Amino acid sequence: MRALYAVFRMRFREELRYRGAVIGGVICQTFFGLILIAVYRALYDTRPQTQPLQDVVTYVWLQQGFFRMMLSFDGELTEKIRSGGIAYDLCRPLNTYAYYCTRGMAQKVTGSLLRSVPMMMIAVLLPDGWGLRAPVSAPALFCALLSLFCGLLCVCALDMISNGFTLLTLDGRGIQSLLNLLMMTFSGNILPLTLFPDRWQGVIRVLPYAQLLDAPIRIYTGSQSLSGVPAIWGLQLAWTCVLTACGLLLWNVNRKRLVLQGG
Amino acid sequence: MNTIRFYTHSIRMLMKSRLQYPLSFTVQTLAQLVMEAGEMLAVLLVIDRFGGLKEWSGGEMLIFFGVMSITFYMTEIFGRGITGGIDSMIRQGGMDTLLIRPRSIMEQMICRDVDPRRIGCIAVGLTALIAGSAQTGLTWTFIRILLLLEAVFFGMMMVLGLFLIEATCSIFSVRSLEMINALTYGGRSACQYPIDVFPRPIRLLFSVVAPFSLTLHVPVSFIVGKPLFGWPQWTAFVCPLSGAVILAVMTVVFNIGIKHYRSTGS
Amino acid sequence: MSYIHVSDLSKTYIVRKKKSGSFLAREKTEVKALQGMNFEAEQGELIGYIGPNGAGKSTTIKILSGILTPDSGEVTVGGVCPWKDRKRHVGRIGVVFGQRTQLWWDVPVRDSYDLLRDIYRVSRADYDSQLRRLTDVLDLEPLMNTPLRMLSLGQRMRVELAGSLLHRPELLFLDEPTIGLDAVSKLMIRDFLKQENRENGTTVMLTTHDMEDISALCSRVMVIGKGQKLYDGGLNELLSAYDTVHIMTVRYADPSVCPVLPEGCETVAEEDALKITYRPDAVPTPVLLSALQEAGTIRDLTAQPQNIDRLVADMYKEMGM
Repeated sequence: MRALYAVFRMRFREELRYRGAVIGGVICQTFFGLILIAVYRALYDTRPQTQPLQDVVTYVWLQQGFFRMMLSFDGELTEKIRSGGIAYDLCRPLNTYAYYCTRGMAQKVTGSLLRSVPMMMIAVLLPDGWGLRAPVSAPALFCALLSLFCGLLCVCALDMISNGFTLLTLDGRGIQSLLNLLMMTFSGNILPLTLFPDRWQGVIRVLPYAQLLDAPIRIYTGSQSLSGVPAIWGLQLAWTCVLTACGLLLWNVNRKRLVLQGG
Repeated sequence: MNTIRFYTHSIRMLMKSRLQYPLSFTVQTLAQLVMEAGEMLAVLLVIDRFGGLKEWSGGEMLIFFGVMSITFYMTEIFGRGITGGIDSMIRQGGMDTLLIRPRSIMEQMICRDVDPRRIGCIAVGLTALIAGSAQTGLTWTFIRILLLLEAVFFGMMMVLGLFLIEATCSIFSVRSLEMINALTYGGRSACQYPIDVFPRPIRLLFSVVAPFSLTLHVPVSFIVGKPLFGWPQWTAFVCPLSGAVILAVMTVVFNIGIKHYRSTGS
Repeated sequence: MSYIHVSDLSKTYIVRKKKSGSFLAREKTEVKALQGMNFEAEQGELIGYIGPNGAGKSTTIKILSGILTPDSGEVTVGGVCPWKDRKRHVGRIGVVFGQRTQLWWDVPVRDSYDLLRDIYRVSRADYDSQLRRLTDVLDLEPLMNTPLRMLSLGQRMRVELAGSLLHRPELLFLDEPTIGLDAVSKLMIRDFLKQENRENGTTVMLTTHDMEDISALCSRVMVIGKGQKLYDGGLNELLSAYDTVHIMTVRYADPSVCPVLPEGCETVAEEDALKITYRPDAVPTPVLLSALQEAGTIRDLTAQPQNIDRLVADMYKEMGM
């Protein structure tokens, strides 16, 4: 537990070193947010929807702010897999799954905190219809944050599965980009899930991708009533358990294979 | 003449080395195709829910998307020497190698790399273009095809010019990747929609600094038979030339930057 | 005018460093890489260019090869200014960086060479004969169809050398060409450079930290420190000027013996031996020898030749680097 805390702290420092990238990232992400909002505003002019425009705007800002939570790019792990150095890690007594999972989580949390806080401040200051709206209520904010945490666990478990596949095939670029696409599409980043065809929504909402950002954002904007929140937490945690189990299985297969090959 | 020979020779050589591992190449091309298909899916879903965008029909939106896709990714296929990781090339001192050869730097940068994997994205762009034409009942007359080729060609020059900003910043060791991405990839994402949906500042940005509206929106409006944002019809053939202007200006700026290049390392 | 003419060459870098602690502020520091460098060189010379790290060696080479533009000063190589007429200049020179490749990483060597032929606009016949010669001398035939990334460091350096000579340059710059190479590769490269210089009259200028490169190759040595030329001349003259310290190691039959030595000798005990460092101009060697013999029965006595690296280190120190 202590070791994992150290990993966390180290990542945070590392992230802080690249302030230039953080500032650039904030500007770039804000710009993307503005463009998307402009498009949705025009679309709403064309044909208004049942979901209020302001909710879509808030949705876009939160998606952009926590963009970093979705993508996995652990350069060190990919490099280790390519160079074969991962074999040593897997043979160590340390729990590699937990180690890399924590690393990934730390990266996501630090990366998105550093970007989302300034972005949210900009977004709040924007005029009505363009800016971020406050959460519907204080309890909703609390529930949304908790749900965001559950979503984080869920997406980390998902990442570890794709890392496991990369380990298995050694060149994960193909599968990684496929998984990234699923993530970008079904997490609501490319298009808010509420704007997907109504008949798809029942299915998409249940997928693990929707658990990361879509679920907490719905609680935040109030389009998900508080009474349904426990069910969402339950779903998020259930996915986390299932995905972690799959990931562990995959990593164990990998370890056995590598040990059999003699490291 | 000699330049063209140098270019074709480089392209041939690099394609050969890229295709050395056909399986990996196929997988990555498919991955590109799937990624771009995801982008197209988003447009399709938007059309499904909203029907159209202001006065633009769904079919017309698909045509905009298709032309943008083809332009942008053609640039990445043939101009990857400039669009792909130019900042890390310069930071690692690759510019030294270009400077000690008796060729212009621009020429050598273009010849530095190609990216045939993006053919997957082009396939998606073409599909969108064809689907859009079918939906709008567009007939491809000679003049329309000519204008499309012109738009794509000068659009490519414009995108190259934008990526040159990144190269110029890298010479002065300014890390600009994210900011330039807002212009290039941001421009791609924004300008796959008609320009008139955006508020004035964004419209200005994409008409003056990164004139996607001139290389893409004006000619495509002409092709689909819509009024050209209040401009006379002949402007459709002149506006795309702005792409060449952007590239020329950026090349001059870049060449001035080269004079201040300070190299790296020992 | 000489073939290479350099006068009053200066170059200053401005280095921006992030201030520790603050979020955005940056510190600006000026690094004077060259401050008024002067030298002349004739065609056919083989010049070694040495100096400690950061002295300005690479900056000089990079200015001379057209990569950098200096702040002030004048340079002509064969009548051409490298940065004003870059394309014409670099068409006649070859450059090899020991730590960086100039060929294409994933491409077979032969294909890289073929593209270089187009870049330098070499005629087919000229190219074929030059390539054949280089292939023979550097033993490249077995490497020609291998992608560069699969070659060892030594093989790669041979391949790079040949690549830089395909267009028959009259002047060759080498920036640390033997860095990281094994003994066999080093010898091969030295022999090749000597031959290239002798048979084709190619002017060669090389930077190195390996003094054996210099003693094996160069008739002329230039030493640079803090951006200025400190020495220009033969290697032997340079060494004799600094060859002031001698070392003698003595072993006594009885290890506990402690000789009384004349003023000016430094003694270090090493296991069962004594290492004595002295300056022959202050303490004549015969005087020292008799002092050693008086102390007891000598089992073994060796006089070490001065280590060339140490010499250079002393020299750098004395010149205040």
